[in-house]
Amino acid sequence: MSKLSRNSVGVAALAFPTWAYLAFFFIIPVALVLWYSFGFKPDLFTAHDNSVLSLDRYFETADPTFLSTFWNTLQIAGVGTLICLLIGVPFAYWLAVKVPSRWRALLLALVLVPFWTNFLVRTLGWQILLAPEGFLSDALQTMHLTTGPLSILYTRAAVQLGVVYNYLPLMVMPLFVAMDRAGASLREASRDLGANRWRTLWQVTLPLAAPGIASGCLLVFIPLMGDYITASVLGGAQGNMVGQLVANQFNSAQNWALGSAMAVVLMIFILLTVAIVGAVILAVRAVLRHNRRVVMDRTDIESAVIEEAAA
Amino acid sequence: MSTTDLLDPPARTEAAVVPPIVRARRRRRDPINLGMAVFGILVFAFLFLPIVVIVIYSFNTGRLLAAWEGFGFTAYTRAAGNAVIRGSVLTSLEAALGAAILSTVLGTLGGLALARAKKKAKWALILTAVLATTLVTPEIVDAISILPWFVSLGTDFGFAPINNGMVRLVVAHTVMSIAVVTFIVRARMSGADMALEEAAADLYATPWNRFRQITLPIAFPGILAGALMSFTLSLDNTIVSSFVQVPGNTPWPVYIFSALKVSLRPEIAAVSTIMLLLTLAALAVVALVLRRFGESTEDIAKTMAGS
Repeated sequence: MSKLSRNSVGVAALAFPTWAYLAFFFIIPVALVLWYSFGFKPDLFTAHDNSVLSLDRYFETADPTFLSTFWNTLQIAGVGTLICLLIGVPFAYWLAVKVPSRWRALLLALVLVPFWTNFLVRTLGWQILLAPEGFLSDALQTMHLTTGPLSILYTRAAVQLGVVYNYLPLMVMPLFVAMDRAGASLREASRDLGANRWRTLWQVTLPLAAPGIASGCLLVFIPLMGDYITASVLGGAQGNMVGQLVANQFNSAQNWALGSAMAVVLMIFILLTVAIVGAVILAVRAVLRHNRRVVMDRTDIESAVIEEAAA
Repeated sequence: MSTTDLLDPPARTEAAVVPPIVRARRRRRDPINLGMAVFGILVFAFLFLPIVVIVIYSFNTGRLLAAWEGFGFTAYTRAAGNAVIRGSVLTSLEAALGAAILSTVLGTLGGLALARAKKKAKWALILTAVLATTLVTPEIVDAISILPWFVSLGTDFGFAPINNGMVRLVVAHTVMSIAVVTFIVRARMSGADMALEEAAADLYATPWNRFRQITLPIAFPGILAGALMSFTLSLDNTIVSSFVQVPGNTPWPVYIFSALKVSLRPEIAAVSTIMLLLTLAALAVVALVLRRFGESTEDIAKTMAGS
């Protein structure tokens, strides 16, 4: 043991500012929201009151509007994640395996360009593209591909397209890293041992990419559950997401107790999703190790989740 | 680049081992590989389509963003002459700089500490869990939790600085990017060789010199990538900013978001185009700096993606 690592008190002290900051500006505020969620809205002009504590706000969240919006959000997020995965897997595979290595870094940087462009502005780009009087609509009509102007904007399809677009890079990156890390040698070994292309894909490449698939799905699904910007730009009145409902309770309705309860429900749902995906990863890893004796790199979910914050 | 460059690589390194017949088979254009290359290029087209649209429409001379009238630079001159737009862009840049500095300092400390923590140290496990929670917390939850806290800090506890719009933006954005910096720096340091620091310690380097001459240079690419990430995250942030902002300190995305409800003008596209160019320039500078530190291009791209 070295002089440095033995000094564990010093190491913990090094993290103290980070700790203190998070405690003061994250843990306390979130704890307050939890506390507000047990209160109520006393009258029209007061946002919250905690003199009587109850779980009533949680029963109130179970009203049809919230439930249908939550279900709607869940569907958009679920379908969005699935489409991102379906596009992301072959795309990341192409980037990691097929593209000559001298091009790879450039293409990887190109994938990240949308990621570094303002989220709202990218979405506005789609709004222009999909507009019924926009040039895409005109072009499609002159080519007689559609009769009448494009009528996709402010529909659910537009929202779905927008979220797939906005979150696709978050799916591609961890998939790329996982497939790249797996390396060419195992795939070659598989071919040399007589497996054909499909068998190699299903038994070597995809299992090795499993941690990347899991973290990519989380990276897309989690921010999607909370996002309401994409939906409000492209979906108009059709694009009601659960985040919007929470925001409304704090902005227009001024009912902090109900808004807090909704936020807590959303938060619990997300934490449960993370826990379930984590458990699935552990299970898959155990099964793989047991059956195939392919040893995967220990991949932290949270280190891949890093990019998530970008959305 | 042309399509053919992106097709199945001829695998030059294998040439020596692979018999000639096999090589010929691999070199032939295989329909699956061709299909994948076409697919890859389509995905790139998809990724760039709306960005290209924004850049093109920034040259729209009309009054409304989406209604094309003619080509010209009026949007750029009008944007430059608009004090509200200038103010909001400046607010965003200042807040992003502040948040980048604060979260880089805090995140670097956290990352260095976590990289050295003993495997089962309780404080490290809890810190990691809290950081991971900040990452998965939806923005709206951050927003609605921090606003009441700011209000009570400012009014009930008389902590006046928190009433300043800029302070609020920096503090709130830092909460969301601290974890990014911490995890990038931790990943960077956990791969690093502790022996170097030990050697420095054995050679009687003071803790400060050890930090400055050994630890910092090793961590530097991670710190830089983290700083850049937190800068962009702050620049991009809409939801939390729209909650915590104080009139007079409206950041750029919040300006766009409110313009969305009234009318979108080509000025928005013009400013966005300039900001895109600036971001790309900043990325290129960072990539160059990292390359001087001996990182491979691919590693750079990966570091910037935070993986």
